[in-house]
Amino acid sequence: MQIVVGVAEMRVSNQHEHVVITHALGSCIGVAIYDPLVKVGGLLHYMLPDSGLDEEKGRENPFMFADTGIPRLFKECYKLGAVKQRMLVKVAGGSQVLGGPEHFNIGRRNYAALRKIFLKNNVLIGKEDVGGTKARTMYLEIATGKVWVKIIGQNQKIIEL
Amino acid sequence: MSLVPQILRSLKNLPPFPMVAQRTLLLLNKPEVNIQELVEIVKFDPAITANILRISNSAYFGLRREIHSLHQALLLLGTQELLKIIIASGATRVFAAPTPGYFTERQGLWRHSVSCGLMVDVLCRELSLPDKATGFTAGLMHDIGKVVLSLFVEQKFHEIMEVVEKQGVSFQAAEKIILGVDHAEMGGEMARMWDFPDRLRLAITYHHIDKPEAYTDDLILLVYLADILCLMFGQDLGTDGLAYTGYPEVLRHFHLREKNLQRVLLQFGSAWEEAQVLFGLMGQQDGIQRVNRG
Repeated sequence: MQIVVGVAEMRVSNQHEHVVITHALGSCIGVAIYDPLVKVGGLLHYMLPDSGLDEEKGRENPFMFADTGIPRLFKECYKLGAVKQRMLVKVAGGSQVLGGPEHFNIGRRNYAALRKIFLKNNVLIGKEDVGGTKARTMYLEIATGKVWVKIIGQNQKIIEL
Repeated sequence: MSLVPQILRSLKNLPPFPMVAQRTLLLLNKPEVNIQELVEIVKFDPAITANILRISNSAYFGLRREIHSLHQALLLLGTQELLKIIIASGATRVFAAPTPGYFTERQGLWRHSVSCGLMVDVLCRELSLPDKATGFTAGLMHDIGKVVLSLFVEQKFHEIMEVVEKQGVSFQAAEKIILGVDHAEMGGEMARMWDFPDRLRLAITYHHIDKPEAYTDDLILLVYLADILCLMFGQDLGTDGLAYTGYPEVLRHFHLREKNLQRVLLQFGSAWEEAQVLFGLMGQQDGIQRVNRG
């Protein structure tokens, strides 16, 4: 069964039949985490790097921002029995339009915010597919922890992360 | 071999632009729109009247009281909002066919087009400009050329993508290289055939600001920026992804910093949720039939 994660949303699951999916990542970033021992996983689709932009919005919907959404993603998985040290982390999205890197660079900032949070908290990114101009859809299979990224395009190329 | 003659030939079969939307477009340039004029245009089209009432009562406007009549809608929402609704509901037919060259989802182009119209509105509010119907309409129509060009892009997709990847140019520039014409030019040509107002036609033609003429009108720059922001937002992205050029001079022109863009995306997120009724205008065939029957 597909569980869809919208923009600025998150889902966690321990149901083996679930495939958690988020559509059409542009500058946004999808973070999939998974504990293979208890088979608990979660997927977050955040839009912006820092809730300092609008703290009220950050409280209202923490999944809008990297700094408020990523900690919640981990905490919700812990509630289902996941343990930080076992977590496998995969990341996709953060695309940019063409042109100079110093403008329109929300995709890059989203990725930088994630790296900073992970470095501070000793979390390693297992695999990632970030940047470029591609539109991506991301899947997390709860039964296995497998993550796929589909590049939106004519032949819908799918890669396993 | 150039595909241009073949592509231009395909324009001969271009269906007329829906009449209600066409007549409404002509009102965009008028400084004052008489409510009676709008009523005259829509009153014989029960489907559009039904849409006006449905949208007026949706979360998009979030009014506290229920609207029961066209007159009430006009009084409470004002003519500019009404123009947007009429044009959006009137134009759906043009977007009805799938555009597999660009979108894997059947309604992808419609959804991207509505999003871009909404994004122009959100941008206008961030810039303290009035969010008039002209801006929304230009956003809604900017990619209309994709309706016709999709067929050709579908055939040559791999060649176009190869140019994007090898030469690092935008998808639009690659269309021009491979097909001899791009979706913006195509849209401009269709706008000419449909007698769109000049400002609207030029916004369509230059929305990727690949020519100096693009800088003659802020409307064009707003549509360009709204389109880019929609790509960044990500929902309903097409096969062309984000392969379009970001021009920092446009940001400078509007005194927009990155924080402003982030705020626009944040606000757009809420606007997008509330506007689901507009996305739903497509595929409401049974709704139209119900209205006609009764």
